[in-house]
Formats: sequence, structure tokens, C-alpha cells
Amino acid sequence: MFYLHQAVCISPQKTFISFDPNLLEEPVGIKLEVIEPSYEGVPRNLLRRMGKAVRIGVGACMPILRSAPGPVAGIIIGTANGGTEDSFRFLEQIIEFDDGVLTPGNFVQSTSNAMASQLSMLDGNKGYNLTHVHRGLAFENAVLDAALLTGEDEQAWYVLAGVDEISSSNFTLDSLEGWYKKEHAAPGHFYDADSPGTIAGEGAAAFSVSRQRQNAIARVDALATLHSHEPALVRQRLDRFLKDHLPDGTAIDLLLSGENGDCRLQKYYEACEGGLSAGVSIARFKHLCGEYPTASSFALWLACQLLSGAALPGPMLKQGDPHQPFRKILIYNHYKGAQHSFMLVSAVDR
Amino acid sequence: MDKTELKQQLKKEVIQFLNLTSMTPESIADNEPFFGEGLGLDSIDSLELIVLLHRQYGITIKDPKEGRKVLVDIETMADYIEQHRTK
Amino acid sequence: MGVISAIGHTVAENHYGLKNGLCGIKTDTQFPSRYAGIPLAEVSLDNEALREKLGVYDPSVTRTSLLALHAFREAVKDAELSEKEISSVSTALIGGTTVGGMCQADELYRDITSAYADSPLLSSYDCASVFLFLQEQYQLQGIINTINTACSSAANAILYGTRLIRSGLARKAIVGGADSLSTFTINGFNALHILSPEICMPFDRQRQGLNLGEGAAFLVLEGEEGLDPHKKIYAEVKGFHNTSDAFHPTSLSADGEGPFLAMQGALASAGLSAGEVDLINAHGTGTENNDLSESRAMLRVFGKVPPFVSTKSNTGHTLGAAAALEAVYSLLSLVHQEIYPSLHFNEAIPDTGLQPVTTGQPSYLRQVMSNSFGFGGNCVSLIFSKS
Repeated sequence: MFYLHQAVCISPQKTFISFDPNLLEEPVGIKLEVIEPSYEGVPRNLLRRMGKAVRIGVGACMPILRSAPGPVAGIIIGTANGGTEDSFRFLEQIIEFDDGVLTPGNFVQSTSNAMASQLSMLDGNKGYNLTHVHRGLAFENAVLDAALLTGEDEQAWYVLAGVDEISSSNFTLDSLEGWYKKEHAAPGHFYDADSPGTIAGEGAAAFSVSRQRQNAIARVDALATLHSHEPALVRQRLDRFLKDHLPDGTAIDLLLSGENGDCRLQKYYEACEGGLSAGVSIARFKHLCGEYPTASSFALWLACQLLSGAALPGPMLKQGDPHQPFRKILIYNHYKGAQHSFMLVSAVDR
Repeated sequence: MDKTELKQQLKKEVIQFLNLTSMTPESIADNEPFFGEGLGLDSIDSLELIVLLHRQYGITIKDPKEGRKVLVDIETMADYIEQHRTK
Repeated sequence: MGVISAIGHTVAENHYGLKNGLCGIKTDTQFPSRYAGIPLAEVSLDNEALREKLGVYDPSVTRTSLLALHAFREAVKDAELSEKEISSVSTALIGGTTVGGMCQADELYRDITSAYADSPLLSSYDCASVFLFLQEQYQLQGIINTINTACSSAANAILYGTRLIRSGLARKAIVGGADSLSTFTINGFNALHILSPEICMPFDRQRQGLNLGEGAAFLVLEGEEGLDPHKKIYAEVKGFHNTSDAFHPTSLSADGEGPFLAMQGALASAGLSAGEVDLINAHGTGTENNDLSESRAMLRVFGKVPPFVSTKSNTGHTLGAAAALEAVYSLLSLVHQEIYPSLHFNEAIPDTGLQPVTTGQPSYLRQVMSNSFGFGGNCVSLIFSKS
């Protein structure tokens, strides 16, 4: 599919500058909010108007735009909730001010493509511009789009990102539906609390991508998506995915699993793990970033770090050897047990 | 309320309405242009300021182009408010 | 193809409406009295009638989803797709919408503030809810995607589906868009002062803004390889281009750079010269900014601008569905070799002198270009070729 050259991540952990496994912290509370950077280089005049999702999306993508190895031919964003908070703020205005005289700022920021368009304005980028909003597969569709684009022009560079914020309205809606825990798990017991619900998270992960191999930090080999509530179908899709995309003689050495501590959803991860050979190590990441529709972008960022030789932090490991150098990572994630994705990511030999 | 107090209040309101978080009332000069060089506001900000005039001072401006003639800087905005306010 | 709009519930009805210069924009609508007098282009089926017609009574299914289902059903029937083909893993569904489930935002807000945990709307407020609903209805197993780039959403859906087929990742793609009228968008466009208090007048000197509309449309795209020779083919997606104007969140640059690049890029991708475009279905919203910028861009691309129309003068601006409706209308022009009159036009913009076609007429058409320019400067141009 394509190579990843740079990866930037704004998350609830200290990930913006670099990845240091020693700086990762256990989740506290049921909302993991990002640590925002200083947004150097983003004009204050534009920053003041941005909602959080747009801010962190811009904050993650700007460094990529500025330092991409070649001219950027397009910007592809996956976001499910980017704009929702501004939508509800505008709605509040509609309700509060019966005379219909309303400020347009929130409305303008409520369009999901506010992020992508803001970036194109900041960078003067008149290239391809698309925003994918398919909920738990918003980022995966952006990845697929990037695969299509880099296939259509093998010299071109693109910025690819997955972004979502917690936002009070999304949090309330998801809480009412019972997706979150009532209280946070004890330290070290995020995954084995055996209770329904997870914790809310947010983040922005951005990458520069192309078909150019030189100096790449990782390669996305393949992607598959599935809409289903059936663990058996998840397993069936995984089997076919591995058959189609794992060359003979190669094996996965790590499963990056989107397990999120919700006991009701464990069956999907069990189905996936059942399809892998015994020697595969398994690591989990949602205790670092929380649950959100584009959390798989955080997983891809993490995969880039691990495939570039970063050490796997102990608390992430569910089973296996944390010290082995990882060459082929399978990311399996699903959102609310309805939208599933498999992504195969490989190391690039220098 | 005298003109100086009005201008001071207006500066606070403009900062709040437009979320100009990096500014204080003291940092905005009475004659500093809203658009172009100066505060660097854009057309969406001008629509927001029209709403400010309506909500805080009861002044209705229907045509945004008319609004741009009034919304030059704090001084002209304060003059206009003094002449047309209904609140 | 399938379509539902303010001028008809089917392709045939829309065709009749276009040919006869029907205007679906009215001031007496079903909206609350606060909006009385605002011209809106409603689909003439209220929610109850839509539910009854479609046999869908689940209260979590919003109007946008109902409109989508209506058009989807017509499209797949027209394309003679079997259930197996529709749900095949090699059939993609790509849709555009901007409102999604926010058409019922008032009720949702009430439910949130009263912490109503049994609200049926909790997971149907977002854009994806529309196409996830279709996925469930038809048990779709292929690639499914939702795109929101404001007014160009459905155009991006069409070009994305085309690229999936060209790359071999799908054999068929059902592509389109849906949007419904909502107090949310009415208030939003009003706050931006781009809603016209009168019926819109695309490309006219006296234009005062746009009228909002609602609707849905889908096209069934199939790759050339393995195409059943007996199936009717309306047209070919010949070229397309997506670009960003990179100027302002809600208005186009004065010289229409984004639209210019989009049109030029579409021609290049189709391997066509400007002279080979016989008709343009313009974005033509009726706003001061769009129509002027778009006109300047057309002049820059074509010099001698081909005949052009704005069907938003019939249907209003249907936002995320607009490009899908306009794709269907472009195809109708190609199939029937006719141009439908652009309505409410009297006098050209002095700066450009361009006039849309105002009298319906038969016409020899090889290629039709359809343009859509969205908030945030997202500009897409599609070119359809006669089959």
C-alpha cells in the first residue's frame, strides 16, 4: 500500500515531541484528555476560533506539512466527531436566542471538514482535500484513500490524519448509551475489571505518506474493514485477510489490540486472538489514549514507533516477549462492536 | 455611561465575542483598524460583531456591507452605538 | 440511478420537473412559524408519509436516512442489482451528507439536557448514521464510507467510488448523497447572511443568496470489466478532480482559483479539451460570492463558456446531496440529449455577461461537466460522457 515517513501524535500521553515509554502513565478518571502543545506556527488569530478537534488536528498536521520530504499533494483527514461540539454550541444559541440573530462562528466550525480546509488555508495547499467521517472507520477510510492516491501517483506526498475530541456532547451521548464505566478502574486493572464500559479518549495522529521507500519508518501493507456484530464473522474476515496478505513464510509477531476494558466486547478480541498462532505477542493501547472512533490512528502511530525500534512498555503487554524487535504488526480494532478493522504494518529495512 | 467607559466595555465585549484570547482591553487602541493590518479580523468576525451590536445594544444591521462601514475600529463603533443604541 | 427532491420522488418525476421548469422552492412550508416566509425546497412527503411508504418505523431513523433509503431503493432497482450483488463484498457504498441526523437536533438536544437514556436518537445524530442505516438494511459487506466536505460531499463520494473501481478494490459502487432540511442549517446559513429572502436567482445580477433544499440521490457505478452487455448504461464517469481553494472558510477567492483548478484538472483527467464540454451543471447557488467566482473561473477555463445551467433554481441547495442530484440531472441531459432551463434568471452579472440557458431545448451533448464547491473551499468537478 504505502510508506509512512513521519508520524506526529497529540494524545493524553506525552507523545508530541517523541515517544518515551518511560513517560507513559496509567489512566486516571474516565476521561483521558490530550496534552495540548503550544501550537507554534499557528497564527493566534486562527487558533482562537478553532474548537478543540480542529486545534489538535491542525497541531498534529502542521509539523508534517512543514517538514514533509516533498511538496504535499493533498490532505486526507478521518474524523467522526470533529465539529460535533461546535454543532451543539450552535444549537444552544438557536435555543437561547429566539430572535434568530446568531453568531456564525460555531456553525462554520461545525462542518467536519473545518480541519482539512483550515490546514489547506494555512499551508496555501490547493491539492486534494478530503474528510472521511464514517464513525469507527473514519480513519481507516482515510488510510484507504491515501493508498489509492499514492497508487495513482507514486511520486506524490500526502498528509494523512485521524482526529477526534471527547467533547461534552459526545461524552454525554455516549454515557447515556452506557458506553463508559461509572468509575475508573484501579491502577493496573484497566483490562481485567470485568465490568461494562470503557473510558473516553481523544487524540490526533498525523503522518506523511508516499510510495517512496527511502527513509520510511514503516509500511502499511494491507487494510480490511467489516461491519458486523458477529465474532464468527470477525474471525472469518481475519482468516481471509491473513491468507491474502501474509506472504508465505512470514508471520505476525505482534497484535496491537484495541481491547478497551469493556467486558461486553471481549468476545471480538477473543475471536481475533483465536486466529493467530501461539507465538504472537499481544499488546494493548487503549489505556493510553482512551476510546474514540479514530483511536486506530493512535495505534498506527504506536506501530511506527515500535517498528522503528522503540521498546514496548511493559504495561502494554498482554502476552509474549516485550524485548523482541517487531517486524510485522497486526492492528485489530473495533468501535462499539459494530465496525472492525485489520491493518498490517511492517518494518522497513534501512 | 460616558464614551470612555463605553469604549472600555466594548473592548472587553469584542475580546469575549471573538475569543481574542491573546488580547487585553489595554492592548487594543481606539483607532486600531479591525480589518486588514491591525486586529486582522475577517468577514466572519464582522458578522459576529453585528450580532454583538444586536445583543448588547439592541442595534440591528441587516446588510453586512452596511456593517463594514460602521465596524472600522473601536472609536467608530462606539460613536455608532451612542447614536443608535436601544439598550 | 435514483433521486428524490422537491421536484419529484423518482427519476421520472424529476425529469418531468426539469423539462417543464418546475420550481420546488416555496415559502409555505412545514417548518415552524418562526421560519415562515423563508423560501425552502422541501420534499413533499413528511416523515410520517416517508415511514409509511418505506415501511420503516424505527424512531431512531432520521429524515436524512429515510430520504437516502428512498433514493437508494430506486437506484438499485433501476440497476437491476440482486440482493446478493448489493451485499457482495465487492460492492461499495460511498455517501455524502452534511446534516446527517442533526435534522432532529432539537429533539436530541432536549433528550441530552434531560439525560433521557432511552432516546432513540443517541446514536443517529452523526453523518455516518445515514449510511450505517443503509448497511444494516441491506446487510452490506463491502467498503462503506461517509464523506463530509460540505456542499461537495456527494461529488467526492462519486469520485471516490470511481477510484475504488478503477483500482480493483470494488467491482460496483453505489455512490451518492442525502441531506434534509433542518433548523440547524437554516439558522447557520442565515447567520452567514447568505440565505436569500426571495426565491434564488443563480447567476443573476440581482441575486441575494441561496435557498436551502433537501433530497437524496444515488448512482450505481460498475467497472467496464465484466460488465453485462445487456444492461442499460446511462453514461461514463470520464474525468474528475478535487482541489482546495485555500482562501476562506465560507467564501471562494475572487478569481475562483479553486473552481478553476478543479475544472481544469477534470478536463486533464478526462483527456479532453475545453471545447469538448457541451454543457455545465454549475454549482450556481445564487450567492453573490459563488456565482461571481464561479463565472470568472468558467471564463478562465473555457474562454467561450459552453451552455450552463443551475438546477438549484429548481431544487434549492441540497448541500451534501447536491452533487448527487446534479449528477443524475447531468445524466438525464446526456441520455435524452436535452438541456433543461435554468430558472429565475433575468439579467447577467455585469462583470461577466454570462447567461445560463433559460429555455429548455434539445441539444447534441457528448460531455456534461458538473461542479460543486463547498465550505472550506473544497472544489470538485466531474465530467460525464455519453455512453
